[in-house]
Amino acid sequence: MDDLFNPYYVDIVVFWMIYLLLGLGLNLITGYAGQVSLGHAAFYGIGAYTSVILSVKYGWNAWLSMAAAVVVTFLISALFGLPSLRVREDFLAITTLGLGLIAQSFFKNADITGGAYGIDSIPAPSLFGTPLKNTGYLLLVTVVLIVAVVIMKKMTGSRIGRAWMTIREDETVAQSMGINTTYYKVLVFAIGGAYAGAAGALFAHKVSFISGESFGFTVSATVLSMVVLGGLSSIFGTFFGVTLLYMLPEMFRLFEFELVDPKYLDTYKMMLYGILMVLIMRYRPKGLFGKNGTKLVNIRRSAVKTLDKGGDRVA
Amino acid sequence: MLAQQILNGVALGFIYILVSVGLTMVYGVLKLLHFAHGVIYMVGAFAAMIAITYLHLPFALAILFAMAAAALAGVAVERIAYRPLRGAHPIATLISGVGVAIFLENLFQVIFTSDTQAFPETGVEVSVIQLTESVTFTNVKLFIILAGLIGLGLLYAFLKCTRMGIAIQAAAQDMRAASLMGVNVNRVVSVTFMIGSALAAAAGVLVAWNFNALFPTMGAIPGLKAFCVVVLGGLGSIPGTIAGGLILGIVESLSDGFMTGMVVDKDAIAFVILILILLVRPSGLFGKHVEKV
Repeated sequence: MDDLFNPYYVDIVVFWMIYLLLGLGLNLITGYAGQVSLGHAAFYGIGAYTSVILSVKYGWNAWLSMAAAVVVTFLISALFGLPSLRVREDFLAITTLGLGLIAQSFFKNADITGGAYGIDSIPAPSLFGTPLKNTGYLLLVTVVLIVAVVIMKKMTGSRIGRAWMTIREDETVAQSMGINTTYYKVLVFAIGGAYAGAAGALFAHKVSFISGESFGFTVSATVLSMVVLGGLSSIFGTFFGVTLLYMLPEMFRLFEFELVDPKYLDTYKMMLYGILMVLIMRYRPKGLFGKNGTKLVNIRRSAVKTLDKGGDRVA
Repeated sequence: MLAQQILNGVALGFIYILVSVGLTMVYGVLKLLHFAHGVIYMVGAFAAMIAITYLHLPFALAILFAMAAAALAGVAVERIAYRPLRGAHPIATLISGVGVAIFLENLFQVIFTSDTQAFPETGVEVSVIQLTESVTFTNVKLFIILAGLIGLGLLYAFLKCTRMGIAIQAAAQDMRAASLMGVNVNRVVSVTFMIGSALAAAAGVLVAWNFNALFPTMGAIPGLKAFCVVVLGGLGSIPGTIAGGLILGIVESLSDGFMTGMVVDKDAIAFVILILILLVRPSGLFGKHVEKV
């Protein structure tokens, strides 16, 4: 079965799906609950390292360690969500960014994470004695992704999702309607983090070598620009944003266009992400497929709000 | 050893102050977290390199050239990324700032490659000053402290004694009232960005000279640490920023000298401080009291 598809194409699709998982998790936190996170790579890294440490250093079965990684990321992400109770909006973004950098610094320096050398020879999960490679792994990632999308659809359409959206629109209103904002804010970080943790575990067992470099601010910013481009609080938007921004640079690599120097492809990619973030915020702050009512667009209301505060953010 | 580390910490602290003052002023006027500030610092260092290598300017003029170039860059960033979004949600402006920062950083990587290059010959010899038997100091660090003091002195005089400076203070207190009093708010914002960017550029040049290293991502960490300094000192408060910068500089320098084998490196200390301050005392050391930020 492994020879069914060209492994190179399979890799592209697997990493695309991993980015989709990351994007879905961030969309829960930032899109649905309105808590901006610039440290999403930390969750990704925690998931990857947990699974790797358990399977390589403690000899756990790869399946078990991957499942454990999701649980551990869920718990640690809940801790990461605690600052959101005290800090709001742009300061939350800076705080999560700081947490992300601290996490990366930990990956690079602690003994248990292999320090600067990282950890290698990560085993692939095996099914009935055959290790999952290429197409098998693709199937595994697809199954995880489908489960993730279904859970997300269920959650956002339910009481939990409505609570998140109310918190996003106005926290005071949410509180006065009896929504336990503390619980729901921590919950969204935990669940969004668990998505990223699953992505991290899948990533680690695919590439079989990880180091702190893979979980830096670049990843957080990339995922954020993908989610913002596609549209906050829209699953389809995340699919669109991730696909466009991930596939576009891959196309250049795949077809070996002479247009750009392949050495600088990643740099051009990041330039494109940067420009898109500025343009989207300027012309379509809710993203291409974002739902109405996201407060990012609600310019008039924030102008009214600033009146009471004494004209903080006017003119 | 202790005196040596504290002295190094003070020099480092002045770098942080020069970078953070701009951030504080921008926050004071616009209530905006200027994410692209670190990139401006990097632009300044590269501008000085261009001035020395290609325009053959003497070092002092190169610093002024770098400050002017960075001031222009800062105003341009404000025009392109922040002004169209004024009045929008703070997150929208923050993301826009992140976008500009990512774009410029990578643009410079395309132009100058991502490799570290040496800072060009400045014509000023680096010499070591022997203060006591165990405490030494380089003249570069002395220049850093001098530049910091001069920059702060000029800034103080500007804010207190010129019409524009008073307009900036007025806008920081209440932008709407200031605009009703006939203050040209857009010009105030532009001047604020100019001053902040020029000071950050001076810091960038001095750091590049001190470490003899120049690379496109050099602004990322100082730009983020500036947020820590600003939050530590109290948002929008310039005296607070000065205290915050010195504290962070000394703490980092001490941890560098005395703590080894930590699970996080010294760059992460600033963020630990940032998170603690935001959780425990969000108004910072000198800021107006606020419940939450």
